[in-house]
Amino acid sequence: MAEIKTKNFSAASAQAMLDPKLRRALDRVASGFDVARQDRIEEVTPEVWEQWRQQARDIKIHTIEHLDYYLDLLHANVTAAGGHLHFAKDADQANEIVAHIVRTRNVKIATKSKSMVSEELDLNPVLEALGVDVYETDLGEYIIQLANETPSHLVAPALHKSKEDVAELFTEKLGIPYDEDIFHMAATARTVLRDKFMEADLGISGANFVVAETGTLVIITNEGNGRLCTSAPRIHIGITGMEKVIPSMQDLSTFLRLLPRSATGQRITSYVSMTTGPRRADDEDGPEEFHLILVDNGRSAMLADPALREALYCIRCGACLNICPVYQRIGGHAYGWVYPGPIGAVITPMLVGLKNAKELPQASSLCGACREVCPIKIDIPRMLLDLRKKTAESPDDSQRSAPESERMVARVYAWVMSRPSLVKFGHQTGRTLQGLLQFSPITPMTKDGRWYRKLPLPIVSKWTRGRDLPALPRKTFHELWEQGIADGPPTDATDSH
Amino acid sequence: MTNQDTNIPGVSKEEFLQSVRESLGRDNTPPAQPYQRLLETTADLESQAAEIRQRVQENLPALLDKLADMAQKGGWNVFRAAGGEEAIGYIETLARNQEAARAVRSGQEVFDQIPVDDALRGLGLTITPIIQNNATPRRALREVIRRADIGITGADYALAETGSIIVLPRRGLSRLVSLVPPVHVALVRPEEVLETLDDLFLLRRLEYHQRGGEMGSYLNFITGPSRTADIEMTIVEGVHGPKEVHMVLLG
Repeated sequence: MAEIKTKNFSAASAQAMLDPKLRRALDRVASGFDVARQDRIEEVTPEVWEQWRQQARDIKIHTIEHLDYYLDLLHANVTAAGGHLHFAKDADQANEIVAHIVRTRNVKIATKSKSMVSEELDLNPVLEALGVDVYETDLGEYIIQLANETPSHLVAPALHKSKEDVAELFTEKLGIPYDEDIFHMAATARTVLRDKFMEADLGISGANFVVAETGTLVIITNEGNGRLCTSAPRIHIGITGMEKVIPSMQDLSTFLRLLPRSATGQRITSYVSMTTGPRRADDEDGPEEFHLILVDNGRSAMLADPALREALYCIRCGACLNICPVYQRIGGHAYGWVYPGPIGAVITPMLVGLKNAKELPQASSLCGACREVCPIKIDIPRMLLDLRKKTAESPDDSQRSAPESERMVARVYAWVMSRPSLVKFGHQTGRTLQGLLQFSPITPMTKDGRWYRKLPLPIVSKWTRGRDLPALPRKTFHELWEQGIADGPPTDATDSH
Repeated sequence: MTNQDTNIPGVSKEEFLQSVRESLGRDNTPPAQPYQRLLETTADLESQAAEIRQRVQENLPALLDKLADMAQKGGWNVFRAAGGEEAIGYIETLARNQEAARAVRSGQEVFDQIPVDDALRGLGLTITPIIQNNATPRRALREVIRRADIGITGADYALAETGSIIVLPRRGLSRLVSLVPPVHVALVRPEEVLETLDDLFLLRRLEYHQRGGEMGSYLNFITGPSRTADIEMTIVEGVHGPKEVHMVLLG
């Protein structure tokens, strides 16, 4: 399984925010993908868009609720088409299945089209250890493979790299003269990888969807590398999560309308490639063997938890990343594992264990933009709150994020707040002390006396490191109410000095 | 599964499905509400297919316009040819402008109607129909495709909703012809035009039923040139597939 760096979230995100290059890259994504996405919705009308979203959501709900039934149907139809369906409980099993195929079929060269699940499995080192030359062929994936990095976005894996970075990388790894012309660099990748496609024994792809009715694997790409990977080599292995199954081929209409528009703002991608079994006797081309590996790798934990089950509806379009104010500031790597952004903040704790990723559910302002843009209407903020609740109240101590002292403070706070006379007394005392503070030569308050800039008290000092704390108002809501707030809203004057 | 796979790693289907059922908190029970689409019979699909064909027939001029519009938006260079001669003329001009020396084409039936071979040979190009036979090994055909400047194919369907052509595994069609050369020309006839994605998938499901559960090994949508935006979100056309694609629409 891919290395888990989720525990380093705070430090990694703080560092990412200070990186001006990353900021420019993230700005490009926001203005590129999301603007185009909105244009496409206007084009089909928001009403029609909403119908499509509901259809897709209904299909996903039905399928996930009967996942065992559809996996069984898929198995029957993949087999009937002459393919092999394999089941892997975890990353190790999935990697072993691929290793077995590689060993028994004498595979020397493998080409891969983009697959987030294979990132999750960390498959490439396994293949390399078996002596296989592995080539990522999606341009973005190829760049990060050369750089020995991981993707920072679901759809645009190398978005964190500037053209200068890529040019330097190509010079270093491919031994070509430095040339930062983006068109020339894409042409270089075309030339280098073209030979590999033709020489490869094995093509590995992910799957955007698998169709139970016909046993069909569907991939959606723009570059054409996916088509080459699945048609030129003699073996094709598709690897994907078990939640990617949909009942009928006809369900694809809805998903093909939603996914490209949500991902890149395209009406449809350049290529949609559907594979059902290996090449038939009459076919001019295609692989002799077709394998599909379905991976659980922690997904059944999501399935078992009704509060988090809908995370399995995700079609990995990346729209929630492109709109998220947190992702916008920190980028993908800070999240510390394969799936970044709002949906990653839900999926990652479930796949790597909440105790390893307690901070991720906090990485949201709960603004709800992710839910608004999600083509499957996944309620990500609700799930983030649920995970936060688990980190606060889980019976499993290792999942709780707050230290005992913080929980003690919360208990005292709750005890005080449920006693009105104590609250009143506290307010009065606090206001008296606050009044005195204004005469102090070194005051922690803002000039207008409405905010605390910095407080040295141990509990609140952390709070004021990143934001101001509101000062106690001159009158509490209760006092205002008694004075007749009901007659009209308080004007600013009642609260000023 | 072959002998070499008797000890293949992973878990059995039963074990995997059982763990899914445990996660869902129930026994092996099929959906209480069966999925409507999966209940459809061949006769159901046939009657829907008949409606589709009738609708397409009745709206053909409008659908051709829509197809041309959507294809253009999707990145195709669209040429509407009144007949075979105009279509061939367009391809000749294209070959001249490209200074092409080698062309490949699929062995589809559309080339009986639009014989491009003689025209291109007349311009001094070599043109190779890619038809698998025992005399020409696969590897040799691949080399021919790789060296070609232009690849010409037909289409099984063309979709007005998306501006796509759809290719299916027909005899005499190598997928590489539409993918490997830097220029792809797709010939589309009016009888191949469909309106929506739903139309296409319904017809495919009907064929699947009619052929006793045979879907064919692949179905490819092609919409515009190969492209990427992986470096600084700058769109580059022609990364692994063709840089330039032409849809020659007859009618």
